Amino acid sequence: MTKYIAKRILMAALTLFIITFVLFVLIRIMPGNPFPVERMSAEMILQKRLELGLDKPILVQFKDYLSILMSGSFGNGTSLYNGAPIKPILIKCLENSFKIGVLSILFGTIVGLLIGIVAAMNRGKFLDGLCTVVSILGVCIPSYVFMIFLQYFFSYKIPFFPYFFDGSKFLFSSIMPALSLSLLAISIIARFTRNEMVEVMNSDYVKLAEAKGVYGWELIRKHILRNALIPIVTVIAPLVVDLLTGAMVIEKIYGINGVGKLMVDAIAGQGVDYNYVLALGIVFSAMYIGAMLLLDILYGIIDPRISLTAKDG
Amino acid sequence: MKKILMFTLLLCAMIFTGCGNDSAKTDDNLKVMFGSNVVSLDAAQATDSVSFELIADCIDGLTQLDSHGKPIPAIAESYDVSEDGKTYTFHLRDAKWANGDEVTAEDFVFAWRRHCVESTKYSYIMGSTVACIKNADAVIKKETAPENLGVTAKDSKTLVVELDAPVSFFPSLMCFPAFYPINEKFYNSIESGSYGTSPETFLSNGAFMLTEYLPGTANIRLKKNDSYWNAQNISLQNFQYQVVSSSDNALTAFKNGTLDLAGISGNQIDSVKNDSELSKNLKIIPTGLLQYLSFNQDAKNHHGGALANVNLRLAISNAIDRESLVNNFVANGARATYTAIPINFAANAETGKYFAEDQKQFSEYVSFDVEKARRFLDAAKSELGKDTFDLDIIYANDSGDTVIKVAQAIKSQVEENLPGVTLNLQPMPKAEYLDRVTTNSYDIAITNWSPDYDDPMTFLTLWTTEGSEISEHWSNADYDKIISDCTTGALAANYSERWSAMYDAEEILLREAVIAPLYTNASANLISDKAKGVEFHSVAIERVYKNVK
Repeated sequence: MTKYIAKRILMAALTLFIITFVLFVLIRIMPGNPFPVERMSAEMILQKRLELGLDKPILVQFKDYLSILMSGSFGNGTSLYNGAPIKPILIKCLENSFKIGVLSILFGTIVGLLIGIVAAMNRGKFLDGLCTVVSILGVCIPSYVFMIFLQYFFSYKIPFFPYFFDGSKFLFSSIMPALSLSLLAISIIARFTRNEMVEVMNSDYVKLAEAKGVYGWELIRKHILRNALIPIVTVIAPLVVDLLTGAMVIEKIYGINGVGKLMVDAIAGQGVDYNYVLALGIVFSAMYIGAMLLLDILYGIIDPRISLTAKDG
Repeated sequence: MKKILMFTLLLCAMIFTGCGNDSAKTDDNLKVMFGSNVVSLDAAQATDSVSFELIADCIDGLTQLDSHGKPIPAIAESYDVSEDGKTYTFHLRDAKWANGDEVTAEDFVFAWRRHCVESTKYSYIMGSTVACIKNADAVIKKETAPENLGVTAKDSKTLVVELDAPVSFFPSLMCFPAFYPINEKFYNSIESGSYGTSPETFLSNGAFMLTEYLPGTANIRLKKNDSYWNAQNISLQNFQYQVVSSSDNALTAFKNGTLDLAGISGNQIDSVKNDSELSKNLKIIPTGLLQYLSFNQDAKNHHGGALANVNLRLAISNAIDRESLVNNFVANGARATYTAIPINFAANAETGKYFAEDQKQFSEYVSFDVEKARRFLDAAKSELGKDTFDLDIIYANDSGDTVIKVAQAIKSQVEENLPGVTLNLQPMPKAEYLDRVTTNSYDIAITNWSPDYDDPMTFLTLWTTEGSEISEHWSNADYDKIISDCTTGALAANYSERWSAMYDAEEILLREAVIAPLYTNASANLISDKAKGVEFHSVAIERVYKNVK
């Protein structure tokens, strides 16, 4: 088991390293300058490139960047926000996106499970059809469209929620973006829950339990849901990372200082800020890889029947 | 099942009622829109009007702008000018930084030296093309020590500035954030590189101070600075900025009462005018932004340098119907412009007339006259021995749709009026656009420039040989001579001669069609009753909140 985990961690680290390298190279061959060049003379641009070490061979640049990463920082921005250190700004933005992400995961999981259960229990009936329609709509409607819809009705027509994000009323102004973000999660979780539950409900042991006289919530909780949950967890894990890493468009239109908006600013602001794009890319990748690693390990804990390695099995 | 439903309902009810109380707090402060992010609160790094406005809310320089855009005393209670106009002595008033420190002459010396040493985009403003501060060019080029910069603190309340040449607009220049003071002790006490990245790392001596700020933030809050020297005359207790990038969003937020001051785009003006309530709030404010076509005259550029031919440039410039551009495509109150200096900008101190008041002055070179344009085109064709011209016109498409519409209109006008000329529209993100301009791979660029200070020179210096290296690649010895005479040379001390020499320079520029001016922009604003006292300016600081009641 320990060996397996160690191997997995090593693989994850290697993956992250490769991603960092590819990102690093891609960003450097992108068109555009890493700093705002409006009315800068060729001399000033050259000076700036020298300052940032962009004249060195790309492998040397990569080595320098790695040593910055090893020292536990992301270096300074190249154009964004006056070249200030990236780490404190990144942490603040991650924090905001993270909070809203958690809220949307809560919404998404609770509502998604509920819809899934209701649909499965009413299989083939009107409610089942309705739930299917809802979950298809959820997949089809982009979350920012839903956000604009919410903003129009609940901030403009009925001025209940603030029209723009307001940091001093964090929870209150997080509700609309969190709801919009959770739309996709609701649909995916609802569909998976319904399908898994229907499958489990047809299994012999559920029929046996029913024959023994177990009914209603008792049956769902103890026999059906528990067995249906494992595949659902597989879907939730990447979804969680997706929600935690922010939403570019929603954050931009609602004015949330999150990582999604930071990414947009870093790419489309005053010149492409190489270091911000890199730092965000690395953080996002690390989160995905971390989530998948955790999931692999969790499998063994949730369901001891799943063998981790051929040898263990 | 019922239990779960009950539980969920209860949970929702708890969240909503709990937060409902939260929202019941009413904000009676002013909420103002910013159209883009603040680039930096460090005046040495800021490059945009949004940053300048926020810096000016919090820091007072030696002078400030009154409601008519004229410089009036701020930190400097008064100043003396030597007879030759080359030495300014500013007498500072008793003003305090928000941390209780006195604002001293040393604070200015520190900030100005730092500005030259940092050598950023706006350092040039200290040097011989603008402020002419003694030794500024040498300090910027690191040829001499910063201590030799011509600015000294005679005592803590007397600042002496030595210039290489008299600068007639020097007092108005002092309103520009590059000349604001920085408290040295405070600056050295914070972590290096963190100046102006949070309310804690930014010290105010002005009317307002930051309470909430983060680089790139969409929401900035300020409150009145009680230790401001003129605090008794500031009524606004607190206000906030909201960064809103979409003008549709801005309009809805204004209708909703979320914004008190919002900018809208040209295509929204009609719907606002048709709304009896909203139209009362609409105000068109002229700006100093000149939108123009930049012709790349480098003979080696990638299309064979056809634009190095002056007749081809004149043909294009005269084939554009500017009135149609501003009325049908920009439609925000912008005015068609036939001069290299925008309208409503740089008033003559003696006559009070704006520099570009006479728009017909150079109609020989810039007008809308298809026949004339075709004559120029025929001359170009015979001189170049070519019948067709294929030119790339580049522009940034990520800053609103106005420029996209303008580009399409120019293409159709030019191709219709000048047979044989083809313009290839090349929209691109701003980063790539800037890259193309700096790497000389374009033919025509749709670009603009806003004035940094209240003098035509803020535009004219763009096209000297040195300035033009960045874009148009045009060089003219006569032009360079006039500009240098007007800045540091013989004409600097003679106001009216300098003024007429600048017209001569402008004439060279338009006769050679170095650029094709298009229009002077305006901004369409929705202003609520609460924001009635906001003052608008076309130079340096666009909006001032000190007199909001």
